[in-house]
Amino acid sequence: MLKEPNYYARLGIPIDATPEEIRRAYRDAALRLHPDVSQAPGRTDLFIKVQEAYEVISDPSKRAAYDATLSPEVTNPPAITTTVLFSRNAIPILAEPQLIYGLLELKARRDTAETPGPPLNFCVVLDCSTSMSGVMMDTVKDTAIEILRQLRQQDLFSLVTFSDNAKLLVPASTHIERTKVETSIRMLRTGGGTEILKGLEMGYNSVLSNYRQDFINHVILITDGNTYGDEEGCLQISGQAKTRGIGISALGIGNKWNDTFLDKLTTRTGGSTTYVTKPREIHDYLREKFLNLGKSYADHVSLNLDLYPEVELEYAFRLEPETAMLESHYPMQLGPVPRNGALEILFEFQVGKIPSDQTSFILGYGLLTLDIPARTSPLYTMRLNFERPVSATQEEELPPLPIIQALSKVTLYRMQEQVQEQVASGKVKEAAHQLKFLATNLLTLGERELAQTVMNEAAHLQEHHEISESGKKRIKYGTRALLLPRSIPLSNELNHDETDKTSGNKGGDEN
Amino acid sequence: MITCPNCQHQNITGTLFCSQCGAQLIKKDDLSNPQTIPAADFAYQRLITNRLISTPDEQPVGSKAALHIMDAGKIIPLTGQDEFTLGRTAEGQPTIPDIDLSPYNAYEKGVSRLHAKIKVNGSIITVIDLGSVNGTRVNGQKIAPDQPYPLNHGDILSLGRIKIQLLSRKA
Repeated sequence: MLKEPNYYARLGIPIDATPEEIRRAYRDAALRLHPDVSQAPGRTDLFIKVQEAYEVISDPSKRAAYDATLSPEVTNPPAITTTVLFSRNAIPILAEPQLIYGLLELKARRDTAETPGPPLNFCVVLDCSTSMSGVMMDTVKDTAIEILRQLRQQDLFSLVTFSDNAKLLVPASTHIERTKVETSIRMLRTGGGTEILKGLEMGYNSVLSNYRQDFINHVILITDGNTYGDEEGCLQISGQAKTRGIGISALGIGNKWNDTFLDKLTTRTGGSTTYVTKPREIHDYLREKFLNLGKSYADHVSLNLDLYPEVELEYAFRLEPETAMLESHYPMQLGPVPRNGALEILFEFQVGKIPSDQTSFILGYGLLTLDIPARTSPLYTMRLNFERPVSATQEEELPPLPIIQALSKVTLYRMQEQVQEQVASGKVKEAAHQLKFLATNLLTLGERELAQTVMNEAAHLQEHHEISESGKKRIKYGTRALLLPRSIPLSNELNHDETDKTSGNKGGDEN
Repeated sequence: MITCPNCQHQNITGTLFCSQCGAQLIKKDDLSNPQTIPAADFAYQRLITNRLISTPDEQPVGSKAALHIMDAGKIIPLTGQDEFTLGRTAEGQPTIPDIDLSPYNAYEKGVSRLHAKIKVNGSIITVIDLGSVNGTRVNGQKIAPDQPYPLNHGDILSLGRIKIQLLSRKA
């Protein structure tokens, strides 16, 4: 099924690569793949292919002849625009380190919005342990059936259930016997523990065995519990999923699951983790996930960033379409570009000494690779350098509004991260102090409910020297959700006139 | 380095929001369209230029009124809603006042958890004491609980022993 990638794709370089870029790509590949370096199975074959590509592309006349054989689809750039906004117009030369923010936006061109989305090959991996019983399970069942009825002709849907064991309840097929499948979903029973590895492995294999390059291939894990001892195995699977181009998303229900683990499991594949507490939210999440997967224009979007030695990436945070703190491993998986929206990533760079004899400074050489499933030869590579002019002096200047807006909220997410770090290293006082700052900011944003949670946790922290599991998740995913454009604070408006009367006259009597 | 005007935390140059307290470190009024900022009252302008307002974060740009916590020299703009409860937070308390006076030693100064409420209705601003233990005063005069009292620009409210000045713009 897989098409042989063209020579440029083999080297991971854009079609208009300069001789220098070609040399660098070849050298990098040689360092990884040369038989002297690695004897791992498959490496040598890969190296021969890279070698073959290099010999043609590095020779201008052979390259021109080769280019002429490529289909226009390959030479045509995909309908994607990239823009980067920076927090400074120019980088000042300073004696001290400084921060620069970059906001990357990838957008599908408008004319792509009308074309139908790629078919899906996806598997829902459902936790059926004892704790999942009741209304949560009923909602999952209802939603699964709802989605089943909306599948398009080509879509491949499979369902794996797991507790102590895993079972492929609905195998992937384009001809699903609907009544039979719906009955088996309805009859699902809960019982047993939560062994994520067994379920995940089966779900991953189901998607893998039906893998199609022109499909969106994805695993959705739904769980409410902690898995014990098999985290490493799960992470190995997500590592494989990443290299095979299969995304993993997770939905954590309630407070017992391990958020650090699920975040790691999903973000490395370009997916994300969502936290829900109410049955309604499960329904909304699954429906939206299903719709969004079908709306992808570019998939497997990844960024390789070769930073200048004095530049460090502090973090990369995806703002759209699904918020997530990205793993700073290269190539960095950015997630899909929706056909009628944008993929937006905020980068924070710390910059040390920069060369003073240049008018322009490249913070990092970036290479963006992505797949357009709708194309017959989908892989595409483009250059994305983070470059700014250099100025001798520091100007008072105003960063672009989108950066400020994004940062006003990412800062809050970062604050709760710092609180977690402080708690972990025993700095309870500092953590409680910062939680109060966080609550103040949330109140200013009108996020009363979340602010309340933060205040309660500050009190809990001072008393018990830890943050409760539910509070930790609520604050983490709550601050992250602030970034969602449609995030409307839950209308839990307090009625002042009533609450004031009852609790308004207790204070100050100690005076 | 940039020193945060709100919490004195040292931030790396180029930081836009304080990493400790989240305060915005760039001037907020530069962000709005200048035309949307109504001309400020002269006295109010003087308060700003006299450095009573130290952080750009605190400038009540776009708000009709603000509260000046006199001891701390801090200005809190009244924006986003038209009713604001004042009080302090306490452990285990289920409600949080809109404006939390805890950072200004509210407990020691005899502020109740929900002490008073300020309503902004167009250019008319009123204060209601919510049955606080130590009472609310307007320019030294104690007011009856649960009754709205109109406030004018420059009036001084006392919640317990915390003094708060009302700043408002001319309509």
